[in-house]
Amino acid sequence: MRIGAAVRVMALAGAAALVVMPAFTATSVVLNWGFLILLYTALAQSWNLLGGFGGQVNLGHAAFFGLGALTTRILWLHGMAVSAALLAGTAAAAAAGLVIGAPGLRLRGPYFAVGTLAVAEILRITVGNILPEVSSLPAARLAAYAITPRYYLALGLAACVTITARMLAHSRFGYGLAAMREDEEVAEAIGVSTFRYKLLAFIISSGFAGAAGGVFGYYHLSFYPQFAFNPVWTFDALLITFLGGVGTVWGPLAGAVFFLLLREVLALRLGELHLLIFGVLFILIVAALPGGFVEAWRSLPVMRRELVAEASNSVADSVRRRRRSP
Amino acid sequence: MLLQVEGLCKAFGGLRAVDDLSLVVSEGEILGLLGPNGSGKTTVFNLIAGALRADAGLVRLSGRDITRHPASIRTRLGIARTFQLVRPLPHLTALDNVLVAQLFGRGAGPLRPEARDASRRLLDLVGLGAKASVPGANLTLAERKRLEIARALATHPRVMLLDEPLGGLNATEVQTALALLRTIRADDVTLVIVEHNVPAVRSLCDRIIVLNSGRPIAEGKPDEALARPEVIEVYLGR
Repeated sequence: MRIGAAVRVMALAGAAALVVMPAFTATSVVLNWGFLILLYTALAQSWNLLGGFGGQVNLGHAAFFGLGALTTRILWLHGMAVSAALLAGTAAAAAAGLVIGAPGLRLRGPYFAVGTLAVAEILRITVGNILPEVSSLPAARLAAYAITPRYYLALGLAACVTITARMLAHSRFGYGLAAMREDEEVAEAIGVSTFRYKLLAFIISSGFAGAAGGVFGYYHLSFYPQFAFNPVWTFDALLITFLGGVGTVWGPLAGAVFFLLLREVLALRLGELHLLIFGVLFILIVAALPGGFVEAWRSLPVMRRELVAEASNSVADSVRRRRRSP
Repeated sequence: MLLQVEGLCKAFGGLRAVDDLSLVVSEGEILGLLGPNGSGKTTVFNLIAGALRADAGLVRLSGRDITRHPASIRTRLGIARTFQLVRPLPHLTALDNVLVAQLFGRGAGPLRPEARDASRRLLDLVGLGAKASVPGANLTLAERKRLEIARALATHPRVMLLDEPLGGLNATEVQTALALLRTIRADDVTLVIVEHNVPAVRSLCDRIIVLNSGRPIAEGKPDEALARPEVIEVYLGR
């Protein structure tokens, strides 16, 4: 329990540091970094809500990120308040979640994964054809650009998604999702309306992905609309979630910090080759550490105890053996 | 009549797994469903519990037609089942396995400490009290069978469909399981049991139905029905 309390104090201190950080750093580099970690945390956590807690592997997450980014960006650039634009982006993504999820979730397992990937790609190509021009901030917006409000927006969103995940993990809804993830037929047999639960989780997950997209659309100076629909948003979110711990509350945050640090180091040295390393890392994590960093951290005390027990056993064994031998 | 099945049919390709089957289950009885392998017993369970949709026929619970209802709704109306090949939720603890059923079954309520307490009592009832925090995947076969029963009970069923609850258990475990099933019946839960252990069926069931190729070939008190020539023929040949 003492370790638990220490972790809690550290988490509180960390949260406080995140909140007051903009007041102390003059350089936007640090805030940009913080922004990216928070954005990726939010996006990964939104994937984790359905993929981790509900066991439904959605490979079309980028579609919802893109819809949120596009909707928010267009409305904001046309003069809407950013908060309203962000809400509209979230709503658009959630609505798309309903429209795509209602038929899509009839598919199971790998079929669902491939189906969502296909829908997202269709959307990406369509957007690329309709909006081929790069979207850049006009001069007036550029002059007024500041990182601090973007940072706070990302902080608020990351906190919001993480709190949602935490509440979900300890709720009746979360238990229903867990049963469904473990065995869909058994979940049905004990009274869980698996389709309704899947759809609801899909809508929440899509809505938060849209919100993350909206924050990105408000943050980025210039990008091709198609870029926000790039599958890389799906796979980064998935990789981060698996690195940190799929189906855990703190996995996406831990994964995002590690992922962005490593990407920065590797991308500088290796260029595009760094993707290869992430691929290998992903396989290693899934094979050797299926619970990611969070599970590894949790099992540390157990492992230590087992190691000690094993050592004392082997010592006892060797003592016994020595006694037996004349 | 608690449970009523009328003219139930289910075919898998050309195989008629259940062929125009009708049966009734009265409140409070223990009905045994017997028959050689492949005679359609598990399919009947799947049709009653809603895991499979019937090609034709009706399933009624207390007179209410539930033939088109999904499994989860049927569970909430009071039909619980266990699986022949036990299926604990592997990464959830034994307690959470039961708790989920408590949260979603018949008359289910919100997540309160009372729900957890009730789940704990059910684990105690089936003799798994000491294993509450063990993940489902780490339980032995006998323990998993008992967990299945606790989980089904947690949905507050009116009728429980038990698919080979004694299969794979040793003699002592069988006696424990039989005592448990009698306790459950004493709590006003109606039981329908698929089981190959004939002595156990004789001692437990009020009535049995013997199936062959998806059709009933004999029905009655266990001793009488098992003595019929048709029954002996399907088990042993002519």
